[in-house]
Amino acid sequence: MTQVTFPLPDVIPLIPEMFVAVMAMAILLWDLFLPKERKQWSAYAAMATCAVAAALTLKLASPDSVNAFYGFFILDPFASYAKLLIYAGTFFGIVLSLDYMKDEPNTGEYYSLMLFGTLGMMLMTSAPNFVTLYLGLELMALCTYVLVGYQRDVLRSSEAALKYFILGSLASGFLLYGISFIYGVTGTFDFAKAGIGIAHAGADAHMALMLGMVFLLAGMCFKVSIAPFHMWTPDAYEGAPTPITAFMSIGPKVAGLVIFIRVLADVLPALQVDYTTILTWLAVLTMAVGNLAAIAQRNIKRMLAYSTIGHIGFAMLGLIAANADGYAGVLVYLTVYLFMNMGAFAIIILMRREGIQGELLDDFAGLSRVRPGYALAMGLFLFSLAGIPFLGGFWAKYVVFIAVVEAGHLYLALTALLFSAVGAFYYLRVIKYIYFDEERVAFDFAESRLMQATVAVTAIAVVALGLFPGPMIDICKAAISNII
Amino acid sequence: MDTMLSTTELLAIPALPLAAALIVGLFGWALKEKVSHIICIAGVVGAALLSVHVFMQVLDGASFYGNFWTWMLSGRFVVPVGMMIDQLTVIMMMTVTIVSACVHIYTIGYMHGDPGYTRFFSYISAFTFSMLVLVMGNSFFTLFFGWEAVGLFSYLLIGFWFKRENANVAAMKAFIVNRVGDFGFAIGILAVWYYFGTVEYKEVFAAVPQFVSQGDSLHFLSWQMDAITFICIALFIGAMGKSAQVPLHVWLPDSMEGPTPISALIHAATMVTAGVFMVARLSPMFEFSETALAMVTVVGAITAWLCATIGLVQNDIKRVIAYSTCSQLGYMFVACGVSAYSVGIFHLMTHAYFKALLFLAAGSVIHAVMADQDIRRMGQLRKYMPATYITMLIGALALSGIPPFAGFWSKDLIIEAAAVRGMGWVSELAYWSVLTGVFMTAFYTFRMFFLTFHNSDRVPEETRAHLHESPKVITVPLMILAIGAAVAGWWGANILNIPGVETANNFFGNSIFVMEAHNPLLRLEEVEHSAGGHFWLEYGALVLALAGMATAWFMYFRETVYPARLAATFSGVHRFLLNKWWFDEMNWKIFIMPARNFGTFLWKKGDLAMIDRGLIHGGIIGGVIAGMNRMRAAQTGMVYHYAFAMVIGVFVLLTYLVLKG
Repeated sequence: MTQVTFPLPDVIPLIPEMFVAVMAMAILLWDLFLPKERKQWSAYAAMATCAVAAALTLKLASPDSVNAFYGFFILDPFASYAKLLIYAGTFFGIVLSLDYMKDEPNTGEYYSLMLFGTLGMMLMTSAPNFVTLYLGLELMALCTYVLVGYQRDVLRSSEAALKYFILGSLASGFLLYGISFIYGVTGTFDFAKAGIGIAHAGADAHMALMLGMVFLLAGMCFKVSIAPFHMWTPDAYEGAPTPITAFMSIGPKVAGLVIFIRVLADVLPALQVDYTTILTWLAVLTMAVGNLAAIAQRNIKRMLAYSTIGHIGFAMLGLIAANADGYAGVLVYLTVYLFMNMGAFAIIILMRREGIQGELLDDFAGLSRVRPGYALAMGLFLFSLAGIPFLGGFWAKYVVFIAVVEAGHLYLALTALLFSAVGAFYYLRVIKYIYFDEERVAFDFAESRLMQATVAVTAIAVVALGLFPGPMIDICKAAISNII
Repeated sequence: MDTMLSTTELLAIPALPLAAALIVGLFGWALKEKVSHIICIAGVVGAALLSVHVFMQVLDGASFYGNFWTWMLSGRFVVPVGMMIDQLTVIMMMTVTIVSACVHIYTIGYMHGDPGYTRFFSYISAFTFSMLVLVMGNSFFTLFFGWEAVGLFSYLLIGFWFKRENANVAAMKAFIVNRVGDFGFAIGILAVWYYFGTVEYKEVFAAVPQFVSQGDSLHFLSWQMDAITFICIALFIGAMGKSAQVPLHVWLPDSMEGPTPISALIHAATMVTAGVFMVARLSPMFEFSETALAMVTVVGAITAWLCATIGLVQNDIKRVIAYSTCSQLGYMFVACGVSAYSVGIFHLMTHAYFKALLFLAAGSVIHAVMADQDIRRMGQLRKYMPATYITMLIGALALSGIPPFAGFWSKDLIIEAAAVRGMGWVSELAYWSVLTGVFMTAFYTFRMFFLTFHNSDRVPEETRAHLHESPKVITVPLMILAIGAAVAGWWGANILNIPGVETANNFFGNSIFVMEAHNPLLRLEEVEHSAGGHFWLEYGALVLALAGMATAWFMYFRETVYPARLAATFSGVHRFLLNKWWFDEMNWKIFIMPARNFGTFLWKKGDLAMIDRGLIHGGIIGGVIAGMNRMRAAQTGMVYHYAFAMVIGVFVLLTYLVLKG
């Protein structure tokens, strides 16, 4: 009888994941015992979880790639950096929820779901393997489905959640179908081995690989809202509670793009010619959809949904460039986007008129006269989103545009430039409302120190990243060094 | 010799006026007038004191060269920001800060009660900062930065009274004419970078001899010329704009629309001399191009003579002095052109004092006669304003070149240098222009002076009640400048030994480079030591200056019929001069009208018809709206439509890949 050894897996690299998982469960339980007036404590606990997890990730971060769990988990600078962005997204999402969810029942579940979703994203960023990828993706997706539909008594919210769920299932089906083709050809789930297998696959496997690649890409495109797999986004964004919209616009996008980069760089390098063509057309379509449709929107949440789509289209340029600068550019883009988008959402949540959340563009009319500080901050976020120098958003675009030009896609960069000019229109229109229109209904702000701090921090970050982009770009380049 | 100056002290010199300008510019609305002017004056006086201190150290042999930080780095293109402090720099720094300090103080009185009081102070402090950057910098980049910044403040200050249409037009004219010059200037700087791969003075200067011996040449239009000649001429075109040389001189007289302190500071003493400074600073380049030197000389000579003739007949007190400024700048360029750079800078310095003095005194007069600038409505003012009278007399004597006042020392040297340089027709032309110019200078100066302070009393009745001497804040700066105008020439000639031939004992030392074969001072010494009469060479200018004064005295000291009779006899010439050689009309016909017509055509047909109506409204906006509507229509809210879009998407991508094979 052969002796079966079963060594204990190396769990050290997974400490942040394990910590978040334990805390998510603990909060779920703890919340049951909290008296009603202290329900906020579960939110504070969730925030603390993010902070501690960030500290743990920083502590574990090293320039090397560490494999754990027999090749089912990888910890490298890329994953660590992405996790930090994800923590920040979750943290801000919780801050925005504090006031918004005050009157909702079962907030413990809510924060616990956010943490589980975060855990899913963390696993995605550390996936060296289709199995881990799928596991993390589904964990994240299931949590977001529920969170979108959290306000069960609001029709719009339930409808959005159901749509998101159905389409998400379809996308998961695409993804699995694509993975199965690649497994069929290469016989492995491991990214690196699959990549070698594809490179050495014979001509007879070509069609199978094409099928696998298209379905795989389609599944991933859905998660990061790349057209034409984006249609769920505006509905889900509009229907979801606003803090969840903010939450969904950061973490899942970070995790999705990280996975995108890993798959492109590890699994599909042999098919670069084919996927470049596909992604180029998808990028053009995504930028067109995002920037053109945003103009037609009257609802700021829908507008920001299309804005997310547009920004993903710009970030795709970094994927298409497929070089170190391009991938680092994607990280830069996500970093800046985190701050400017969170800031914008914080302002939206702060804006209330007679107790009702301001969601229409005209609700911003006259903001500058009532609250010049908020108006200035919103102005900064919008200018940054539009990519005006010298704010963070400018450098985000700059880095990916330069990368894609250097990769030889000049016309794509020019197209992106045109769309970013079109995009500037709808951002600047909001500024027009804020600064040049008269107030019609009295404002009634949800005053909260934490929210104000969030606005201040994000505004300062947008300006600081705009004035001194160097360190951020260097860090992103260092984070990408193990990938390419 | 190698003692280094303190970096902190050097940085403080431009930093003080800049800080003052920023504080007053940004927070002026919250400050009292008194506080704003105290801040600005403190900044500029501080800079002046530090400049004097640095000057003393340089006199003892200290110097500085270094970069502080890199402003821009792009591949091979490095733009450092640094300073180069030597004799040439310190004399400019001292002149700029002292005149600026006087003007600052004078402004308290002159601009009293103006609604833009604090704004004015912030501008002139910022201007002082820019000018200091221009002279203290160690590269073509800092030169360009200062050059454009002083241009900007000149524009803002000419148009300071922005509600007056004339002021706006004059400001625009100054800016646009300077653009023409700056075009050449920018090309020159780019050419320097192209050929030398650096913009730092030290490196460029060190590379010039080697570069010239390579003999690079280039075709420009149909001319074949040395690269160094091309560079120098391009840079000099910039100097022509900034220093108002014919034909780019037209903006300077119009700039007199600005408040008088500005005319004194910017349009007489400092900014307009930037071109002369630049040529002297770049002497290690200009020395290697005979053609460029000849061009500098000829342009200077023509300007010196032509603007002097215009000055003869002008009736606006400030315009007379303005044309005199153009003319004197011509003298300075002649000095540089004949390789007597040190003399050019010497004249720049003395001119700064006496011309600022003349302008400020004119301002004092204008202030007294209720902002009237026409000398035909003045006369006998000496009775009312003795301090202004005496100081202006000193300024006039200095400008005319009467010993022992400042102008005599420097101007005489220019004429002598031009006389002995020996560049063929070029130096002949220069010599005769500047020599006859002396007569005209003395004449127009004293014509203006007599008509203002002597002659008959032609002041209108309603103004007469207002006549009074100006307050102390105005007269004290006049007196300080009068001291400068009285002694700066003697000081420069005898203490600094500017006419000295040996680099060792000449103040400028190695900060100016002159080829031995070119050096007119060397030749001048030989000529003066040779036997034979050179009375005319030494005293010719003085005789002509006295003659000019005498003529003016004869015609204008009392009211006489001669001016009118002369104007009637030579009515054609008179009208020609009065209309300033019709330069403005020429520019209008040749450049401005065609440019405007062309612009109107592009605007009406190109922009409005083609781009706005055709492209934007028809094409782009139409396309965007159509696209937008299509996108919105696709977003139906039906989940099966969404799923269908996804399936179609996959299907299209697959089809594409399959068909591609």
